Amino acid sequence: MNSAIIYLLVKEWKQFWASSFLPKLVILLPVLVMLLMPWVSNMEIRNMRIAIVDNDCSSLSEKLMQNVEASEYFIISGVHRTYDAALASLEDNDADAVMVIPQGMEDDLMKGGQVSVHVAANAVNSLKSGLGSGYLTNIITSFGQELQSSSGQDASIPVEIDLQYRYNPYLDNVKFMVPGLMIIIVILVCGFLPTMNIVGEKEKGTIEQINVTPVKKREFIFSKLIFYGFMGVFVFSLSFLLGKLVYGIAPYGGFGEIFVGATLLIIFMSGLGLAVSNFSDSMQQAVFVMLFFMMLFMLMSGIFTPIGSMEKWAQALTYAMPSRYFVDIMRCVCLKGSTFNDLWFNFMMLAIFAVFINAVAIATYKKQS
Amino acid sequence: MADDKVIEVRNLTKKFGDFTAVDHVSFDVFQGEIFGFLGANGAGKTTAMRMLCGLSIPTSGEGKVAGYDVYRQAEDIKRNIGYMSQRFSLYEDLRVYDNMKLFAGIYGVPRKEIPARIDEMLQRLGLSEIKYKMVGELPLGWKQRLAFSVAILHRPRVIFLDEPTGGVDPSTRRQFWEMIYEAADGGITIFVTTHYMDEAEYCNRVSMMVDGKIVALDSPKNLKAGYGLSSMSQVFDLIARGALRSE
Repeated sequence: MNSAIIYLLVKEWKQFWASSFLPKLVILLPVLVMLLMPWVSNMEIRNMRIAIVDNDCSSLSEKLMQNVEASEYFIISGVHRTYDAALASLEDNDADAVMVIPQGMEDDLMKGGQVSVHVAANAVNSLKSGLGSGYLTNIITSFGQELQSSSGQDASIPVEIDLQYRYNPYLDNVKFMVPGLMIIIVILVCGFLPTMNIVGEKEKGTIEQINVTPVKKREFIFSKLIFYGFMGVFVFSLSFLLGKLVYGIAPYGGFGEIFVGATLLIIFMSGLGLAVSNFSDSMQQAVFVMLFFMMLFMLMSGIFTPIGSMEKWAQALTYAMPSRYFVDIMRCVCLKGSTFNDLWFNFMMLAIFAVFINAVAIATYKKQS
Repeated sequence: MADDKVIEVRNLTKKFGDFTAVDHVSFDVFQGEIFGFLGANGAGKTTAMRMLCGLSIPTSGEGKVAGYDVYRQAEDIKRNIGYMSQRFSLYEDLRVYDNMKLFAGIYGVPRKEIPARIDEMLQRLGLSEIKYKMVGELPLGWKQRLAFSVAILHRPRVIFLDEPTGGVDPSTRRQFWEMIYEAADGGITIFVTTHYMDEAEYCNRVSMMVDGKIVALDSPKNLKAGYGLSSMSQVFDLIARGALRSE
């Protein structure tokens, strides 16, 4: 390797250890994110408070309430006489949903008639209300089926749908989130650190002392890229290790696929950071521009929300997000054990983005103004 | 003094939009000479120097440093010059030795030669005791001497010093000028900007810049005689009176 690059790498290494902040950051960020975030980003709904209006006051309505209470998802916050009273408790935020048991439910059911149970949910938090009323519907439906089968009237049992969740049989949200979190760690570390480093050199004026030496543009950019590339790989490996040990991700292997993909994303993110810092004169400017890109990469790559449920134009846009390809790689390898052969398109796109952005970083770095 | 020209400048101009920072400047600097580049703040000294160092592309005019063209051969110029900027710009989070090794290395000093050359330089400039100190912890006077030593470590033909003694006391400034003399004795050409007129007296020749133009260029002795004044400070006051720009 070129000797100027080696001197520059030694310099980055010594500066890294002279910093009181960076060594702590690259250890603590992955550890905290990997250990805490999967639990706080859990989308399961628990302890939803439900206000019940019991217009029937029968033994059956009593049983339905017991069923609701018995599930771990609901707490009965109160049983009210009128719908208005229950709604008032919803408005006072004492309850998250109202369930109305109609008058004469027991009689109607005994006669084999149809009964409708009314459910109103506070949809300010739409996710909670959606999932919660879904759970509640399930409980009521199975309650009805239970009654019908116990009374021997199984003629009206509808066609049963047998759902099988492949690859993630328990719909374990933690398994879904962990690969996403590893990607977020890479995006944060490799996006911010090189950017702040170069803009920091601009603000301190040290870059001028480098610009007045015969160091070539590509030597300077490569020295940053190699250093922050290795740091990215270190941070990713640490997250991967935690993911493996704590959550048991990637049970089918595929480490080659994961690390090649991660390295390509790391090279891309570092290159983007370097390119952005070439255009920025101050730390604020650089950090805000990077933040913009990072938000796009996180929100539009399927980490949090499935790409399939985005608008058509947004789905098309995701192809311009390099992180999208790595999210695909991670999920497919971790959950299904996919290989290079299945994912070649993703690897190719990541490689194209990585080479392109680094070419931009070298071309836009100006030693002369 | 040989008439070997190290710097040749003809009508060098730099414009930032409508503002002409350096306006058709012409001069020569010879091998081994201490050339003072004087002017008030905002006169265009730093801009002119940055063009000669290959940090800034001129708008028009010609310039050659160490025989290389400022437009096409900026990187060749950089191999042959040392530069000390107005603002201290070595790495404060590295030790003295690490800074020197870094710059020696990227200027292409052979790896085996670097430790000996650094030790020799530190000894010559009386910096040996701070070899392993963090640069950020040094007082300004020491930092300036360190920056000077880094600028001459790779044995350039010319060094450019941009207000090298700003903000330090007179005795520290005198020490600094002793280093400059020593380097000049070793054959290095010194191009130095300053607005301290006592320092102007130490130069072989000085140019005075007012509003982007060079209005006087001669040895301090001739300038004083020409204006019939006893000090460079008085000469400068007379010349700079017409200045329109100031910071």
